[in-house]
Amino acid sequence: ANRVPRRHIDDSAQTGSAGVVSYPTITNWLGISLHPNTWMFVNVLSFPLTHPQASAKHALAGKTGKHLLNAFNQIPGNETEKKTTLDQALRGVLGDQIQKTSCDDYLSLIYLSIDAVTEGICSATTPFVLLGDVLDCLPLDQCDKIFSFVEENVSTWKSNSFYTAGKNYLLRMCNDLLRRLSKSQNTVFCGRIQLFLARLFPLSEKSGLNLQSQFNLDNITVFNKNEQESTLGQKHTEEKEDGMEVEEGEMGEDDAPSNFTFSSIPIDYNLYRKFWTLQDYFRNPVQCYEKFSWMTFLKYSDETLAVFKSYKLDDMQASKRKLEELRASGGEHVYFAKFLTSEKLMDLQLSDSNFRRHILLQYLILFQYLKGQVKFKSSSCVLNDDQTVWIEETTKLVYQLLREIPPDGDKFATMVEHILNTEDNWNGWKNEGCPSFVKERTVDDKPKRPTRKRQAPEDFLGKGPDRKIFMGNDELTRLWNLNQDNMEACKSDSREFMPSLDEFFAEAIEQADPANMVEDEYKVVRNPNYGWRALRLLSRRSPHFFQPTNQKFKSLADYLDSMVSKLAKELPDIPSEEIKTGEEDDDDNGDNLLKDSNDSDKMVTNNQMDEIAAKLGAEWKALASHLEMKAAELREIETDSEDVDMQAKLLLVAWQDREGAQATVDSLVNALNAAGFSQIADSLNENNSRR
Amino acid sequence: MTSQLTAVLCRSSFDHQMAPKYNIQNHLQLFLFYIELVCIVCVLQLLHMSVFSQSFSPCGRYLAAGNNYGEIALFSLSAALSPDATVQSQKPVLTFTAHEGPVFTLISSDCHLLSAGNGEISAWSWTELIKKVTVSLNTQQPGKQHDLIIPEINAMIINPRDNSLVVGGGDNNVHILDLEHGVFKSVLQGHSDYIHCVSVREREADILSGSEDGAVRIWDSRMDQSVHCIEVYKYESCARPQYGKWISCVTTDSDWMLCGGGPSLSLWHLRSLSPTSIFPLTGCQRQAAFHQDMILAVGDGPFVSHCLLGGEVKAQIPCTPQSLNTLQLNTNSTEHRVLTAGGSSDHIEVFTNLSYRAFSLSF
Repeated sequence: ANRVPRRHIDDSAQTGSAGVVSYPTITNWLGISLHPNTWMFVNVLSFPLTHPQASAKHALAGKTGKHLLNAFNQIPGNETEKKTTLDQALRGVLGDQIQKTSCDDYLSLIYLSIDAVTEGICSATTPFVLLGDVLDCLPLDQCDKIFSFVEENVSTWKSNSFYTAGKNYLLRMCNDLLRRLSKSQNTVFCGRIQLFLARLFPLSEKSGLNLQSQFNLDNITVFNKNEQESTLGQKHTEEKEDGMEVEEGEMGEDDAPSNFTFSSIPIDYNLYRKFWTLQDYFRNPVQCYEKFSWMTFLKYSDETLAVFKSYKLDDMQASKRKLEELRASGGEHVYFAKFLTSEKLMDLQLSDSNFRRHILLQYLILFQYLKGQVKFKSSSCVLNDDQTVWIEETTKLVYQLLREIPPDGDKFATMVEHILNTEDNWNGWKNEGCPSFVKERTVDDKPKRPTRKRQAPEDFLGKGPDRKIFMGNDELTRLWNLNQDNMEACKSDSREFMPSLDEFFAEAIEQADPANMVEDEYKVVRNPNYGWRALRLLSRRSPHFFQPTNQKFKSLADYLDSMVSKLAKELPDIPSEEIKTGEEDDDDNGDNLLKDSNDSDKMVTNNQMDEIAAKLGAEWKALASHLEMKAAELREIETDSEDVDMQAKLLLVAWQDREGAQATVDSLVNALNAAGFSQIADSLNENNSRR
Repeated sequence: MTSQLTAVLCRSSFDHQMAPKYNIQNHLQLFLFYIELVCIVCVLQLLHMSVFSQSFSPCGRYLAAGNNYGEIALFSLSAALSPDATVQSQKPVLTFTAHEGPVFTLISSDCHLLSAGNGEISAWSWTELIKKVTVSLNTQQPGKQHDLIIPEINAMIINPRDNSLVVGGGDNNVHILDLEHGVFKSVLQGHSDYIHCVSVREREADILSGSEDGAVRIWDSRMDQSVHCIEVYKYESCARPQYGKWISCVTTDSDWMLCGGGPSLSLWHLRSLSPTSIFPLTGCQRQAAFHQDMILAVGDGPFVSHCLLGGEVKAQIPCTPQSLNTLQLNTNSTEHRVLTAGGSSDHIEVFTNLSYRAFSLSF
């Protein structure tokens, strides 16, 4: 224990010197302190302090928490205050015992505190505070024992009641310990601490992660750079005097006397320096992006790799028995935290397959960093083409060299490749901001039924909200499931196929217009298919279909003709179209004849018929003979109405009904003239032309 | 190089006499031109240099290397291997011209460096060389029958049994020089073409020689006659007719012999005189050496080959020269125990660890 941790100083302040608390106010005496550092107040009050501390001592002696529980119940104050008091009492006991007793006593005290926490009589942080105190105060060899206790109780620390309260304490404790330990001497202990941290924290915990991809720049490999140090003996003494801060590569392992003799084998200092200079690039790869240092790196690497390439290693099969002996003695996995950089070792290192693998692997790792996408690499850190090409080639060379290294070189190279690929994935994970490994369950995820070998009927017979029915064929299923209710489907608007009258008859009406001069045989009404459909449509849509009529139609086409003419009168848009064409003709002055004929084609309107009927009056029968009315019809008209005006009107309507499209003003005027009603004919003509 | 330089300078003075009207500016221009010329010559010389031979000093701290221009360069290994080595420490500490023609072979005795080129063997004192003084102590000319033909010396080796020097070369004969008295003791005759390489079997007092005629002859140094003659190219497993039949390297280790050249590099068992392993190396091998349980070989191709005794090629360590002529392992000093290899370049490759090239020394 070569350092005095800060927290320990706090503790010492608590023991003895009551002067820390300078204001023993009346509220304190009443035990209703709101001061956050309640231990101060506890310290002043002699009764609440001594009592639980004594009971804690008792409890420790008897190794049960009963005394504590009793003491706890006796302390006045609210729950938090009582807990704080007990915490403080436990720390006090520890403070008294420290340096006096063995590790087991500390541990039993900590066990006691754990029990107390589970009883709910002291705060959850107490065991951790106690542990921290113990580790801070003890020398390293005893810390080892305490730490094995910490390791054994990982499950306790991970339990709900302790984890959140204690994780930061544990982390701080471990870091403090790591700082005290030598990285090269206490490798095992350091490793145990790291393993413990890995077990304690979940995988997603980021505190142990090198998020910014920083390098351990302190890891400097020291080697002899200048000739003064090169004779090993000199260097050794110098080093002792220096006492440098950096972790040194362990050089000059031999005893002093042999160091003063000259090395007995020739040493290639050139390679030696270049080789170990490369370590600096592995330590801090960002150097490679600088032009000058890259050139150096390139040169040295080429030389080193050329040496590796030329220097083939022996297959160790000859000394297999020796290897087995090594393995038996546990000496195979010799691990050095640092490289040994003595120049005398260079020759041996070059012939050491493990050493060579180390160095080659360093190359691969470096290249992976240089090539890879790393989030925290600055934007200036980009390789140019030459560099990329060189790296590609050298990577190939390194893999080839790895394969050549005798014991299971192929296997090793494959393994390395695999590991580096995995590393790539981790890198990607870090670049993405370390997303959690736990996938969020989607909210509407229903619990899955156990899968059956065969589908149950309900699986395909309309289950669920859409009641889908599986027909065994995708297309059939789709058709079947267009609508679940067939009746509804039939009623739907999309099933309405019947066209409206004007839509359907538009063509026929147009053709029926004599002005269009469509010959009878080309009219659509002559098409039996059309005729049949028209009839059906009329039956559904038109009142004319059920109107009694006396006319006898020879054919369907004739009937349709009359119907079309009736519809044409009813439908509003057809005449408007006619008017429109008339207007167009008006504009065209050169075609008067056409215009006249157009005028004369005009149908007799209802108003005109009323006027005529009024003028005719009782003389309608004179006109009837000129309108080619039959006697039966006349009789019918006479029976239908007694009013002569009405009878005249009926005559005209009957005529119109019979003539259809031919019931034009012209023909009516002709008939009137022939019947001798020229006055009426003139007025009709005038009237017509005025319109 | 020096001779060429003087020739150029002579010519310059000659030109000067021919054109006495030139003013001082012209002199300067001329001078600059010569400097340029000299530089070009130097560069060309470096480009076309090849290293034929090398030898370590008895102390092991120096390396002597001979090239095709007759120069011997002395390198300080201790400087080149020191931690504060610079480019300068990879340059020779001393360069001198030893022979007229190429220095084909170099060898160190206890205190001398022996070099041989066309026809003559010179001895240089290592202690003097280290002090950078070059004095030829002794010159011998073996096998000189008449003045017109000067046979070159391709290989030398010291036979420590009787402190003699075994010399093989262009006159198809192996000469044995007594180093005590400096006289030629005997001549071993039998090869029908010039000799590439010689080797000594220390235990048996046998001398081996490899020749252009494709035979490796084993001589008994006591009886001065050929005991065995192995015609490597006649063995089907070794023969490579496309490369020829010549033997360029022979080396021995107890009962084993390594030889190669035109035929494949092969390991022979000397008691049974049969090839045990053939190494599947492409090209001709110029030098091979036993090292621990391995065989190191150099030849055509820019690499040092590591072979296992069983016949497999374990590794080929790349080097800069396109082909290598010579390979030496410094066993004289553990501190500077390096492998060096030289070839068709002014560079000598240094391997501190056998498995990779550490750096190069250069002329």
